[in-house]
Amino acid sequence: MNSIISRQEVRDSIGRIGSADIVVGIPSYNNARTIGHVVRAIQAGLAKYFPDRKCVLVNSDGGSRDGTMDVVRSTRIEDQAAILVHHRTDSVPVIATAYEGIPGKGSAFRTIFQIADALDAKACAVVDSDLRSITPEWVELLIKPVIRDEAEFVAPLYHRHKFDGTITNSIVYPLTRALYGKSVRQPIGGDFGFSGKLARFYLSKDVWETDVARFGVDIWMTTTAVANGFNVSQSFLGAKIHDTKDPGADLSAMLYQVVSATFGLMEDYAAVWKQVKSTEPVRTYGFQYAVGLEQVNVNVERMLGIFREGLRNLREIWIAVVGQGDFGEIELLGRAGNDVFRFPRNLWSRIIYDYALAFHHKKLPAEHLIKSLTPLYLGRTASFVLEMRDADQAGAEAEIERLCEEFEKNKVHLQNNWK
Amino acid sequence: MQDFLMLVLEPFHEVFAGFKRFAPNILAMLTILIGGLITARVVRLLLRKTLTALNFDAWSDRMGFTVMMRKSDVWTKPTEAVTRSVFWFLVIFTIMIGLSALKVQAVDNLVAQFFLYLPRVFSAVLILVIGYVAAGFISRTVLISLVNRGYHYAKLLAEAVRLLLVVLILAMALEQLAVAPNIVVAAFSIIFGGIVIALAIAFGVGGIDAARRVIEKGASEKVEQKDEIQHL
Repeated sequence: MNSIISRQEVRDSIGRIGSADIVVGIPSYNNARTIGHVVRAIQAGLAKYFPDRKCVLVNSDGGSRDGTMDVVRSTRIEDQAAILVHHRTDSVPVIATAYEGIPGKGSAFRTIFQIADALDAKACAVVDSDLRSITPEWVELLIKPVIRDEAEFVAPLYHRHKFDGTITNSIVYPLTRALYGKSVRQPIGGDFGFSGKLARFYLSKDVWETDVARFGVDIWMTTTAVANGFNVSQSFLGAKIHDTKDPGADLSAMLYQVVSATFGLMEDYAAVWKQVKSTEPVRTYGFQYAVGLEQVNVNVERMLGIFREGLRNLREIWIAVVGQGDFGEIELLGRAGNDVFRFPRNLWSRIIYDYALAFHHKKLPAEHLIKSLTPLYLGRTASFVLEMRDADQAGAEAEIERLCEEFEKNKVHLQNNWK
Repeated sequence: MQDFLMLVLEPFHEVFAGFKRFAPNILAMLTILIGGLITARVVRLLLRKTLTALNFDAWSDRMGFTVMMRKSDVWTKPTEAVTRSVFWFLVIFTIMIGLSALKVQAVDNLVAQFFLYLPRVFSAVLILVIGYVAAGFISRTVLISLVNRGYHYAKLLAEAVRLLLVVLILAMALEQLAVAPNIVVAAFSIIFGGIVIALAIAFGVGGIDAARRVIEKGASEKVEQKDEIQHL
């Protein structure tokens, strides 16, 4: 057993359990308020859909002080009949442990992979600890394609409000789809199913002392699976509602984490994405249905204000990154009134590719470079909100599809300038 | 007559004897100078090729050195500037060593003082280079983070931060060079304090309208519509 699992009680638990067919992991940090619901959903899902399989639930915790691990250990489904479970009486064994290594979700996942490897698990899943909309069906949808050997990696597919997930919709999804040729709609969804073989493959990668251990593990898992030829699919899980994030969280820090991880993977898999010429859909599991979503208020004026501040103050940086020609187009946008403000898809895709090239050529320190993208991102987001104000979910999705096509069309710009 | 001739020729003998004693020293100095100049030229050539291979010009552009040079009215490429500086340093170094080969007391003292001063020059150059890079980095960090928060005077504040840091760095470098240290410290205190007071007055008096707008914006932010977008 690898030295990562150094705690005696974890080794004892693994020794007692011996082996498992399914391992479901939950990374956590101070999630006592919400993790109980997640644990109950998983227990119900395992009891309902995998009654004849040996299952283990792993909580990999970052040193919570609010008793998160105690909640995990003590949570049980009191009335299994109420959730139409009639076969299982034994509760699912739980391993709740504090992970070791660099603090972050990646290190938490590493411990889950280690335990899955030690238990020789056939299928695994990881789900966020702050989910409010998780149901037992998520467990089936993430694990069954793997246990049936139909998929080695299952990404989530959610219905979200048309204005939510804008970093995914305007950068990560179009970019990863154009690069690697697989239309995985939520590459940074955070809830994944994968095979034991893929978990071992993840462990074999020498990334656990890098930023992957801290942030960006979601995009890393998806890209690693896609770029290394694992059989990838996605499952429709319904709505994704999770605990409200810190409203003071810095957008540019968030953007830096996600985009730097995505750009970093472009360096690792340049030989792969350069060969990809077209995009193919991935198999989607689950019965898709409409989901009622809460209204999302957007302050477009504030977004456009920051975009124009960027135009005034970051001129030199933007010209150095996107060139004089595209900067001229950005300047023209800055003169447009708020109501008629439209950020063209074509320009946006070229900007993202130019930022990827600037990252590759190390034109600026990575943090400065990507954080300087924030006003442009807000400009594009404001434009999307204005354009889609009256559109329904399908209309917004069609617009994202058109953006993806622009990314695919302009990929040649990236390929030609990547040296 | 013989005595008179001896009296006349004696100084010539002494000068010649002195020259005979001194000639090897001159020869040594010339050898050192020629060897040093050849070495300096070879080093210049190798350094130029190495820096070109390392894309030093592009790196200097990124780090802001090129801009700094242009502001100082230096229009050569950074690679050329570095190679020339190293070349002339080696030439001066060679001249100093060559002069010390003459074994003249006054020159020896001068050379000794030169070599004793060298560590201070190195420290000062190091402070200037690292300080300039750090000032540029911090100023850009301030600029980007203020822009991303929607502040109206981001560039002005970032430039003010850069100016304060440059003044601090220059004072440190001059202090290191021991150039009238008391005056440097006093001048630094006056300039630094002056800048801070000037900024305060500029913002407080000259920028009453701007300050009002900032304060009003801060107050209005409390009631303006909040974003509920989840970006991830």
